[in-house]
Amino acid sequence: MTFAQVLTPPSVGWIAIAPEIVLGVGAALILLFDVQYKPKRTHLGLATAAIVATAFAFAIVQYDRVQTLSQATADQAADFVATAFPFDAMIVLDANAVFGRFAMLLVTGLGLAAGWRLFERLGARAAEGLALMLLSATGFMFMASSTHLMMVFLGLEVGSIALYVLAGITRERTESDEAAIKYFLLGSVASAVFIYGVALTYAGSGSMNLLEIQGVLARNIFTRPAVLLIGIALMVVGMGFKVSAAPFHSWAPDVYQGAPGGIVGYMAAAAKIGGFAALIRILFTAFPDFISTWGPLVAGIAALSMLLGSTVALVQDDIRRMLGYSGVAHAGFILTGVVAGGAGTGEVWFYLGVYTVQLVGAFGVVAAVTGAATSGAGIDAFRGLSKRAPFLAATFTVLLLGMAGLPLTSGFVAKFGVFTEAWQAGYEWLVIVAVLASVIAFFFYLRVIVAMYMEEPVDEAVAPPGISVRASLALASLITIVIGIVPGPLLSLAGEASPL
Amino acid sequence: MLTALILVPAVAAVVVMLLPSDRKELALPVGFALSFVPLAIAGYLFFEFETGVAGYQFTQKAVWYEPWGISWNLGVDGISLGLVALSVILIPIALAASTTITDRTKEFVVFTLLLEAGLIGSFLALDLFLFFVFFEAVLVPMYFIIGIWGSERRIYAAMKFFIFTAFGSAFLLASIVALSVFHNRQFGSPSFDLLELMSLDLTLDQSRWLFAGFGIAFAIKVPVFPLHTWLPDAHVQAPTAGSVLLAGVMLKLGTYGLLRFNLNLFPQAAVDAVPIIAGLAVIGIIYGAVVAIVQPDLKKLVAYSSVSHLGFIVLGTAALTSAGFQGAVIQNVNHGLTTGALFLLVGMIYERRHTKKIEDFGGLAKVMPIFAGLFLFTAFASIGLPGLNGFVGEFLVLIGSFPSIPVFATIAAFGVILAAIYLLWAYERVFTGIPDKPENQKLTDLNAREIGLMVPLVVLMLVLGLYPKILLDRTAASTEALLDRVEQATTYEVPEQGRLADVFAGEGDE
Repeated sequence: MTFAQVLTPPSVGWIAIAPEIVLGVGAALILLFDVQYKPKRTHLGLATAAIVATAFAFAIVQYDRVQTLSQATADQAADFVATAFPFDAMIVLDANAVFGRFAMLLVTGLGLAAGWRLFERLGARAAEGLALMLLSATGFMFMASSTHLMMVFLGLEVGSIALYVLAGITRERTESDEAAIKYFLLGSVASAVFIYGVALTYAGSGSMNLLEIQGVLARNIFTRPAVLLIGIALMVVGMGFKVSAAPFHSWAPDVYQGAPGGIVGYMAAAAKIGGFAALIRILFTAFPDFISTWGPLVAGIAALSMLLGSTVALVQDDIRRMLGYSGVAHAGFILTGVVAGGAGTGEVWFYLGVYTVQLVGAFGVVAAVTGAATSGAGIDAFRGLSKRAPFLAATFTVLLLGMAGLPLTSGFVAKFGVFTEAWQAGYEWLVIVAVLASVIAFFFYLRVIVAMYMEEPVDEAVAPPGISVRASLALASLITIVIGIVPGPLLSLAGEASPL
Repeated sequence: MLTALILVPAVAAVVVMLLPSDRKELALPVGFALSFVPLAIAGYLFFEFETGVAGYQFTQKAVWYEPWGISWNLGVDGISLGLVALSVILIPIALAASTTITDRTKEFVVFTLLLEAGLIGSFLALDLFLFFVFFEAVLVPMYFIIGIWGSERRIYAAMKFFIFTAFGSAFLLASIVALSVFHNRQFGSPSFDLLELMSLDLTLDQSRWLFAGFGIAFAIKVPVFPLHTWLPDAHVQAPTAGSVLLAGVMLKLGTYGLLRFNLNLFPQAAVDAVPIIAGLAVIGIIYGAVVAIVQPDLKKLVAYSSVSHLGFIVLGTAALTSAGFQGAVIQNVNHGLTTGALFLLVGMIYERRHTKKIEDFGGLAKVMPIFAGLFLFTAFASIGLPGLNGFVGEFLVLIGSFPSIPVFATIAAFGVILAAIYLLWAYERVFTGIPDKPENQKLTDLNAREIGLMVPLVVLMLVLGLYPKILLDRTAASTEALLDRVEQATTYEVPEQGRLADVFAGEGDE
């Protein structure tokens, strides 16, 4: 072996995990630099933003690569397999993974900007918080890009454990500790359920690679169907926990209420993206032929989530809890698109993308009004906000109307998309449930708007939000409106995002 | 041209929004001035509109998102033309009537202009997706107008208004989704184009369900009895401009939707549903009128009179005859003018006396003769005195519905008498006699601005009453085409029309 050969790295397709590498290494560097040089927090924040931006740039490169791959001819097949399925087909480089990264990185950037005041408050622990944020993003991005159930699980754990710690990062407050421990306990149970599902799937199909599973199932009529079906169901349940779908949602409102205000938006959005990305990948790649089996299960969870989330949100007096329950309802809406199978991937991704942006923005407003390092956000704090802080009130209104799914916002297009897919797939009843749930949901979104615009202000000055908060909120509202009017480009982009 | 008609108010709203916030007094004049641009465009359209052409005119179509089959698809025909004209006329009037709004004036003007854009968009949209977008989007500005600038129980009223309508829209949305999926199954691509969807082959069951889905949405908007309960609350609490636009234009979205979508898309279901719709319409006519008689509150009286008048429009739609359709279309415009004027007048007296209770007034004709005169004139127009616009519409509806649904038509005719009772009795209590209450004695009569507001409306009432041809000519071809559509798609046959109809439909004016 010559020296040159030793130096030449083996062709392992680093590009397929380049964004994850950037985030992971970036997180480590931030921690090291913080110990060694004690940099200013502003510099740490800018460095984190730069890391996220770099990862995003790599994701764009990947997108370009995927485009090229999709036009690969037959004689390039070997090349295609090597590039698209590197690391012994543990990882896949496809549009689904890339779109997951886009969404995840956008949410990370927005979440960082919107919750910046929290990191300022954290003092010496700011670097830890930033590193944890990057690590959780790494984990959830792996969930979107792995084709192996073990990798999915690793991604899930990396992401989730970082989030458990973030939930309790303001550890001097008991509410924060409580939220963290609740999240940790329930999240661990969910992980356990998921891994049990993985085990049973392995028992039923003989593989943990999603593509192989699909092949095995397609070739054989039945290999221990009961075990396999239980395995699928348990994996769905595990992911249901992560995306806070009913009846596995009970942690969400508590955690959203207790965790520090600046990070909740990111936590909620990241877990949803990761969970749905993995769910789509597992169900659509490995079990597309079992859609008649898991379809009704998912539809049932969807219906329950929408109805329960919307109705319970009505009686919440805490905006964060309300957004938590509304998140349950939104998980249901997204699952409405999932029941359509592979055909609905684009609509599901579109919904996820626009909703998570709204979610981060909305929690950004909540943090700006009631504090980034505190728990809870009573509706009283929002009374007359339009007079005290017109900018915050206006952006919150746009974001809430977007979540409510009013036309000319991205939320409407998203809802319309998943409803159409569900109807197309024959789930007419689910669409009826969904539209009724959206009407119920109008109540509590409007309630906040009523408080902000139509009620007398309370004597509580709102500290003017910083430039990063303003920018992120403006961006989130702008995305909500622009995508609502011109949904075409994003819809086409998301439409490509079906898993290989 | 039509795109401009929608975009100009939207752009005007942005312009007003960007006005410096320390020059609050600018918002209203600027908004008012800008609202003349759509008026001019619509005026041009109105006179350029080719009479005798059944199809959509000035059409514009641009692909919005190809895979979903949605497009920016606009067009105007005889059914929508009058409503567009009505919207652009009422908006400047509503703005000019809002000089008393001092709190957050800028936002008020912005919301009003956005409302205009949404309303015009709804009337022009020929793509169901686009229509739904506008139909639902108009809720937001109106919700804020009621909720921020309304009176004491405004929040309750705004919420009720929003939820009722949104509830109806949910069914509309599900039905539109269903239609596009059916189109996809039959033709291989989804579509929301009204003309393309008309060629769908629906089973009777499908078309009945979808008819119901569309119907509920529009019935709530109209509102058809028993879904009307949100209307009196919304009207009573809304500021004057809000009431004017709500009654004048927004409710017409419902009657327009029934005519445009329910009849075109589901003709057989529509024919089958005639007894139900006509029945509810007649109940609305009588119920609204009877309840209006006993209202102690002037504004509530006008609100209930709306329920009654709108019943006539629905009845004309259900009549499935040429005269009925014509009556419905023209009554849409008439009701917007007269009820809008009545709400303006109630608003003017409220600004002076800060009460709307009929019993607080008395003998106002002595202190405010101009006001009394205008009120009486408008009341006559609303009752349907021959020579004024209300007569043309309600008379056409009645003679149109008599051949096809005689029983309903006969009962509905009593609505006209009841209208005379509640309006004239209210007039008597408010205006006649001697002004015995001291607060009423020093009331000032209308000023030049207020008279200026009423003049265009009064002139239009007179013009449409004496020379309805100006509107009927433009609507005739479209309503005929709609009737043909219903006849061709079903076994329904239009009954022989009475000769009286020729008086209005033909050349021979009175």
